[in-house]
Amino acid sequence: MRVKTRVIGMACAAALGCGSAHATTIGASIPHFDENFLTLIVSAMKVEAQKTGTTVEFEDAAGDTDRQLSQVQNFVSQHVDAIVVNAVDSSATGKMTEAATAAHIPIVYVNRGPDAATLPPGVSFVSSDEHVSGRLQGEALARLLGGKGNVVIMEGELSDHATRLRTEGVEKVVAAHPDMKVIAVQPAEYSRSKAIDLMNNWLSTGDHIDAVAANNDEMAIGAILALQAAHLDPKSVVVAGVDATPDGLAEMAKGRLAVTVFQDAKSQGRVAVDTALGMARGEAVPSHVDVPFELVKPDNMKDYVGR
Amino acid sequence: MTEPLTNTIAMAERKVGRRRLPNELGIVLVLIGIALFFEAVGWGVRGQSFLGNPQRLLVMILQVSIVGLIAIGVTQVIITGGIDLSSGSVLAVSAMVAASLAQEPGYARAVFPALTGLPFVIPLLCGLVIGGIAGVINGSLIAITAIPPFIATLGMMVTARSVAQLYTRGQPISMLADNYTWIGSGAVPVFIFLAVAVIFHVALRYTRYGKFTYAIGANAQAARVSGINVRRHIMLVYTIAGTLSGLAGLVTSARAASGQASMGTGYELDAIAAAVIGGVSLAGGAGRISGTVIGTLILGVMTSGFTFVGIDAYVQGIVKGVIIVAAVVIDQYRQSRRRKA
Repeated sequence: MRVKTRVIGMACAAALGCGSAHATTIGASIPHFDENFLTLIVSAMKVEAQKTGTTVEFEDAAGDTDRQLSQVQNFVSQHVDAIVVNAVDSSATGKMTEAATAAHIPIVYVNRGPDAATLPPGVSFVSSDEHVSGRLQGEALARLLGGKGNVVIMEGELSDHATRLRTEGVEKVVAAHPDMKVIAVQPAEYSRSKAIDLMNNWLSTGDHIDAVAANNDEMAIGAILALQAAHLDPKSVVVAGVDATPDGLAEMAKGRLAVTVFQDAKSQGRVAVDTALGMARGEAVPSHVDVPFELVKPDNMKDYVGR
Repeated sequence: MTEPLTNTIAMAERKVGRRRLPNELGIVLVLIGIALFFEAVGWGVRGQSFLGNPQRLLVMILQVSIVGLIAIGVTQVIITGGIDLSSGSVLAVSAMVAASLAQEPGYARAVFPALTGLPFVIPLLCGLVIGGIAGVINGSLIAITAIPPFIATLGMMVTARSVAQLYTRGQPISMLADNYTWIGSGAVPVFIFLAVAVIFHVALRYTRYGKFTYAIGANAQAARVSGINVRRHIMLVYTIAGTLSGLAGLVTSARAASGQASMGTGYELDAIAAAVIGGVSLAGGAGRISGTVIGTLILGVMTSGFTFVGIDAYVQGIVKGVIIVAAVVIDQYRQSRRRKA
């Protein structure tokens, strides 16, 4: 899969090397400019745009599906060459797809997009398969716990697709181990502060917690901070995150974060721009481009620092 | 003839005094009711006490201390007949700016590599001043241009959030120095919250500042005629609210050991909810900090209670919304019955 994305990237670079007549313009709508993970995608898109001499116009949808739809409609009326969307809500992508395809403008979803297995022509979805992230996290926890222990799951936003799939992934692995048990599942909305409060509440129940599976690194760090504040050895509880953010890796270097799952935001951003450019030139691109998740452990974490 | 008159006034005052105490009591009873509900369900579901656990009691207050700080400011704003929607966003700006000035010495990827390892009072002061400036702008807009507080602070809410995002282009700020994160550690946020509550409770009840605040909320025209500089006082109240949002930003970033532009999203509504639950009237002129503190505690008890008895996350919001409205309805019903009686 990795090879496939590389090939596309090279194909695009080669095509651009031949020189295009006019500067290409891409309209991009992002749900939140201030969400840490999305900023990585955005900056990778900017880098790739600069490299390819493309103009990318970014809009902040402020977490609003309606606003995102009007932004896409505006891009259509501006006759941009391609549209890149990180969908606010995966179930609200139909109308955006319609607006773009009706005007024969290619639309590329990145990171969050339509749930459908097949997409109409002119539509592509660059993402990492979220079924995998939860499974990788759960399997790593099962290994570290020796197949037994109590697990708590910190969920992201309940309306978020990734929240559901990551949580399911962990739950499935736990269900396959008779001596492992999920004793609590609650959202902390991807927020470090909320995760501190949630962990404090869990600790106050006196239940024995062997592992924390957090839907992202921010919440995992929140759990670690709460464990420290309660003067418990964070190493006595196995904490796992997703994202491999710089902060998450710093915690791993201190031995407090056991594992995390790397979602390649930069590749997603880069491939999204490349796919959009390819489609704008009328090339055939796959409807789904997978950028694989990777498990990050203390022994391979140095490969992920600065990525 | 003067003596009977003063007697009547004294009697009236005593009556008012007697009526006021139970008003507060109403919302305290709601708090106790909710706590006892979780206590009862807790024994059934978990077989342990909800309230008889000092650690949990601390957690309950700790998790609402930041919203509580904002609520103390917004209570004073609401008493003047205004509203402040900008608190959560102002918190974020303060958190970002303070965090950028509180990074560990020698941290290579610091926002300002030349400004790491500063004495911790510098980020603290900067955070408070940022909050104060936002408050001054809110207050000036409202007092000078006379636009509705809802609009002025809505504008600030949107603008300040954008400033927080622009500050580092959305990048989080981490590696904060230990002397800074101290103010968010352990029970420190609780002490800050309670100390600030006591200060403003006293200020509102026993000082000229408080009398002016209530007078403006009850009748701004009458307050003006009686010689209060209404504009200046309104600016002062919004500045205090902004500064408290700034303080909340300091505590938030210290607690999370990080400054993030999305911090405090939605806190303004929790703070307004806490004030209204605590008996602060959105019509202005009525309400007390002690009520707001109890309203804040109700939010904290609910959050812990939900986790404790394991209410499904998907329905927690529904239960919370119903309890907020029910608490206010019960309180108002009680008060109106008392007034009739």
